[in-house]
Amino acid sequence: MTLTLIGVNHRTAPVELRERLSISKGSEADVLRPLCSNGGIRGSAVISTCNRVEIVVSSESDNIIEPVVELLAERAGREPESIEKHLYVLRHRDAIRHMFRVASGLDSMVIGEPQIGGQVRDSYQIAKNLDTLDSTLYALYEQTLHVAKRVRTETGIGEHAVSIPFAAVELAKKIFGELSGLRALLVGAGEMGELTAEHLKGNGLDSIVVANRAFDKAVELAGRFGGTAAAFDTVGEQLAQADIVIVSTAAPNYTVTAEQVSAAMNERRRGDIFLIDLSVPRNIDPAIADIEGAYLYNIDDLSEVAEANKAKRLEKAGQADRIIEKEVDAFLKRLATQDAVPTIVELQRRLEDIRQAELEKCLRRMGPVTAEQRQAIEALTTGIINKVAHYPIIRLRESASAPHEGETIRETIRKIFGLR
Amino acid sequence: MTTVSPNLALYLSIAIYAIAAGLVFLSLLTRRETLQRFATAAVMGGFVTHTIWIGTICSTTHHPPLTNLPEAASFLAWLLVVVELGLLFRYKVQAAAFFVYPLVVILLATAAIVSEPFAPPTPEQSSKIFIGHLLLTLIGIAALLIGLAFGALYQMQDRAMKAKKRGALYDWIPNLRVLDLVSYRSMVLGFAVYSAGILAGVLYAYNRHGALTSFSAKELGALVAWVAFAAILQSHLSGTFRTKKTAGVALVAFLAIVVSIFGIDRG
Repeated sequence: MTLTLIGVNHRTAPVELRERLSISKGSEADVLRPLCSNGGIRGSAVISTCNRVEIVVSSESDNIIEPVVELLAERAGREPESIEKHLYVLRHRDAIRHMFRVASGLDSMVIGEPQIGGQVRDSYQIAKNLDTLDSTLYALYEQTLHVAKRVRTETGIGEHAVSIPFAAVELAKKIFGELSGLRALLVGAGEMGELTAEHLKGNGLDSIVVANRAFDKAVELAGRFGGTAAAFDTVGEQLAQADIVIVSTAAPNYTVTAEQVSAAMNERRRGDIFLIDLSVPRNIDPAIADIEGAYLYNIDDLSEVAEANKAKRLEKAGQADRIIEKEVDAFLKRLATQDAVPTIVELQRRLEDIRQAELEKCLRRMGPVTAEQRQAIEALTTGIINKVAHYPIIRLRESASAPHEGETIRETIRKIFGLR
Repeated sequence: MTTVSPNLALYLSIAIYAIAAGLVFLSLLTRRETLQRFATAAVMGGFVTHTIWIGTICSTTHHPPLTNLPEAASFLAWLLVVVELGLLFRYKVQAAAFFVYPLVVILLATAAIVSEPFAPPTPEQSSKIFIGHLLLTLIGIAALLIGLAFGALYQMQDRAMKAKKRGALYDWIPNLRVLDLVSYRSMVLGFAVYSAGILAGVLYAYNRHGALTSFSAKELGALVAWVAFAAILQSHLSGTFRTKKTAGVALVAFLAIVVSIFGIDRG
């Protein structure tokens, strides 16, 4: 059985083509069922995300690219020739490696992003529900999910934040540990500020107070985060209760001053404060960085953290690729052994049929025999067929790891023993 | 008189702990976390042989391993490993190993090099106050040293976060709140136990010699360390423990502790 993967991704095709080719949730059957009705294709599955559309098929022959390309072109409303230059076709080993890399987030636009793992799992579930997976694709998906988990656990590739809001969350955790029980103060209604507050909330932050010049907007935002709104001129007072302060306003001067933070720190006695300035021009007085227990990060600082983490993820990607290469070898071996199993079973059955037929003939000719004599003849004949089958079975198993040689040996043995 | 011949268990412990210390420093150079896991496994192995060594002292001398420098150093190292492993499993703080493992190696190497004769307890040393003094002081010192190690990690991480430059240990040091908590609790516990130990020592000296102190290096070291640790604790309470001044006081406390340990049984 051969695996083939045909698709486009963010590197090979523009978004206009990707959106035309994309397979929306619920319409997978329109692609997978026609493919499986093609004689040569034994199983198929599709991964469709905003960055990629890929179809993976399991077939007996290599000659299945054309129907897949035609189907994709038809869905995109284009001629097959016009989409071919954007497509990649990966065979067997390359297809397996690609699946492992995709699920591990190594082929993603942001290396190590975790969402793709869930998307691959969804694609498996959909194909399983539509009953379009054969045993090879089943095994491929199971192994893909296992490898993705292993890569994430062993390399920690997804651990470092690569976006500004996530970098802020990562730093907050480095200061406070768990975010539960903490209180944040969001000053202003800038988009990045909202996003950061949303990420902090998603990571366990307990309460958010929103202060904005337009109080209506503060109330609206606070409602979204399940927090409370505060008047803009109470920011100074709010600082004493806040553990995390996010400032994102368009004000031309400092909204949070060093004096305010010093006073707040004195009032608190203990406990650190993490200030995030997402405004340009800056809205938090840089002198605050000198106050003990106050950690101030502006948008450039957070960008630097995100960039440094990207470099770290690239480093981890090399480690991940080494794990994947070993997993590909192991999986190929397993697949090849799986290919040899039907021949081995059929060979054993054929020899057993011969033994049974010959034994019946022999016993008829011999006339009545005692139970012990029958047992001895049974043991003798079973021993003979086991000896005959021994070397062919060993060869079938040994050659399983070499796909082409394995196929030749399987074919030869089938011919010699008259197997179907 | 039986002599303390550093037996196989002691040499093995030193070798295994030294390997563990080497592995954690190698992990710093290669940035491979796996090496730290090997180091933890090595320390657990070293702890087994170390415990055998401590047991050997107890079974040979029929008293707790406290009466001279090799014994006290071995016991202090053993306590440090117990606390370090406990904290490692509780908080997953691998970074403290960079301070603790070398210290353990130095203490055990001292025990092997000094190789003083076993000190069968004299009648006065068999007194409960004396044993209590030694035991409490050593337990207190172990907790205070752990507090110092976590305090040092806190200072490193605080500076890295303030300067927005990640130090070599940045990824391996836990959050500031855990460091503060462990450092503060170790200090409070250590200081209380250490104070009780010193008090027991003063009582013992008064009963024995009719004077509160003999102004030996050991006693002066212990006194300076006590004052320094009190100052560090006060800085924790007042929220000024991040300052360079506190770092300096911590260094003084550490050196004073070293003096008091090396003064054991030497006046």
